[in-house]
Amino acid sequence: MNTIEMKQTLPEVFAGRDTITSDVWHREVAFEKGKTYLVEAASGTGKSSLCSFIYGYRKDYQGIICFDGENVRSYPVRRWVELRKQSLSMLFQELRLFSELTAWENIRIKNQLTGHSDKKQVREWFERLGIADKWDQKIGRMSFGQQQRVAFIRALCQPFDFIFLDEPISHLDDGNGRVMSEILQEEARKQGAGIIVTSIGKHLELDYDRVLKL
Amino acid sequence: MIWKLLRQHISVPQLAGFFFANLCGMVIVLLSVQFYRDVIPVFTQGDSFIKKDFVIVSKRVSTIGTFVGKSTSFSDADIADIERQPFTKSVGRFLPTRFKVYAGMGMQGVRMSTDMFFESVPDAYVDVKLDRWHFDPSQDVIPIIIPRNYLNLYNFGFAQSRNLPQLSEGVMGMVNLDIRIMGNGQMKMMKGNIVGFSNRLNTILVPESFIEWANAQYGTGEEVKPSRLIVEVNNPTDDRIAKYFKERGYETEGDQLDAGKTTWFLKVVTGIVISVGLLISILSFYILMLSIYLLLQKNTTKLENLLLIGYSPARVARPYQLLTIVLNLLVFGLGIGAVILARGSYMEILTGLYPDAGAATILPALAVGFIIFVVVSLLNIVIIRRKINAIWLRK
Repeated sequence: MNTIEMKQTLPEVFAGRDTITSDVWHREVAFEKGKTYLVEAASGTGKSSLCSFIYGYRKDYQGIICFDGENVRSYPVRRWVELRKQSLSMLFQELRLFSELTAWENIRIKNQLTGHSDKKQVREWFERLGIADKWDQKIGRMSFGQQQRVAFIRALCQPFDFIFLDEPISHLDDGNGRVMSEILQEEARKQGAGIIVTSIGKHLELDYDRVLKL
Repeated sequence: MIWKLLRQHISVPQLAGFFFANLCGMVIVLLSVQFYRDVIPVFTQGDSFIKKDFVIVSKRVSTIGTFVGKSTSFSDADIADIERQPFTKSVGRFLPTRFKVYAGMGMQGVRMSTDMFFESVPDAYVDVKLDRWHFDPSQDVIPIIIPRNYLNLYNFGFAQSRNLPQLSEGVMGMVNLDIRIMGNGQMKMMKGNIVGFSNRLNTILVPESFIEWANAQYGTGEEVKPSRLIVEVNNPTDDRIAKYFKERGYETEGDQLDAGKTTWFLKVVTGIVISVGLLISILSFYILMLSIYLLLQKNTTKLENLLLIGYSPARVARPYQLLTIVLNLLVFGLGIGAVILARGSYMEILTGLYPDAGAATILPALAVGFIIFVVVSLLNIVIIRRKINAIWLRK
């Protein structure tokens, strides 16, 4: 998948508004593979909605979203499952980790599906992000910042053309944020993938090709 | 790994509740099916060598009739009238012997002999294997079917009081009777060979070819009207039959009409029991579905997350589907086991009463159980999948 286009896309909840000032909503926007985007947003401007529309788990929008020129609205379940395994990776704002499982089990449950990363690689990421000692810790007993790092690693355990990071460093210190940027760029370069980061304030230090205001 | 995640919130008491309720329903259904199949031959196939749906008709012997010498035989017109009835398939006449018959049997030095009579019906009504139900004048051996009552009279009345050995049906089949027939100034010694016992025919039956041959040789030559008829009917439970014979003052014998009623009642009772069993099964199925629904509801977030990280709905549904299939399979297996156990205890009694009854197999219960297993499992699979799909669609 090479491009994600949004044509006059607008969340249905915004439809009643008279004016919309946004670089994304109700405009023609295209995200291209290999490029890096930052979507800056104030709270309540539909940042998570944007992610969920593109990731295919919400359809309450107007307008059209196209992958490589193909409208995604009528994609069958099978197609979405395939996309989520092979083309789109997502670091959810609410993380969506399994609190009953340990950090490694959370990674493994994804990696079993894709077979993308080996255990050694995962362990290296754990070390670089400073959570190597949390390997066998239940997610429920970790801080949100630690969980964010686990969720980030999980997002890397699959092939992707685009990776979405929904407020990835909201609970991270600058040092860890920097490490995350490094790892993200390494992986994205390896796969030639596009990066789309959202933020409501503090954002990942990356060379953004384009900054959009939501 | 998925299982580790999804088995959370599984309620063991709920599943156990389903398990036992479903087991109850299953056992009731299977046992009643099996029991019905085991018992029904006792009523329907008492005499395997006689066609099933027949009625034996005679005219009533009344006191006055005896004194005035009123004939109890059927005229050609009577027979033609019966043949015209809608319930009649065919009518056969009992052909009696026109000569004297003595039969004797010797064993352990005791000789018994008695005056006797023979009758025959057309071969089409007799279902003994043709090679045994065959008379050849050159061989001097007559196949005979006697009422089972005779054997019982001997075994339980005569033999016990005289210290004679009791005879099984098998042994009786090997015993040769000495038959002496006399008439027309001639006499002939022959051998009789018992080929079957009848619960329903109250006569001593020999092949029609023998009667015709012997009547011609030793008979008095006079034409005698039959006093009993064998009527093959379409449906012995048809109430027109009883009504018709009652109007004419005929009597019917043979328990076929009664057996018809018995089987009907057996069917009704089995039907009721099966319905109760099915009802329990359906209710237990409902418990299982509620339990699974609850489980899915409690695990909704997890299921949603699995779907979002790329698991397909089919993959997510599979652990729950497997869980129900394993449960159903267990119920099926244990149900069959219970039926085999229960059947063992009642078959002992049943074969004691009716030696022929043991022929049926466990197959009906297996088949019905398998069908229930497949239907219930399929329903489970579909319902779980639909529920997961609903989670995908976030409804």
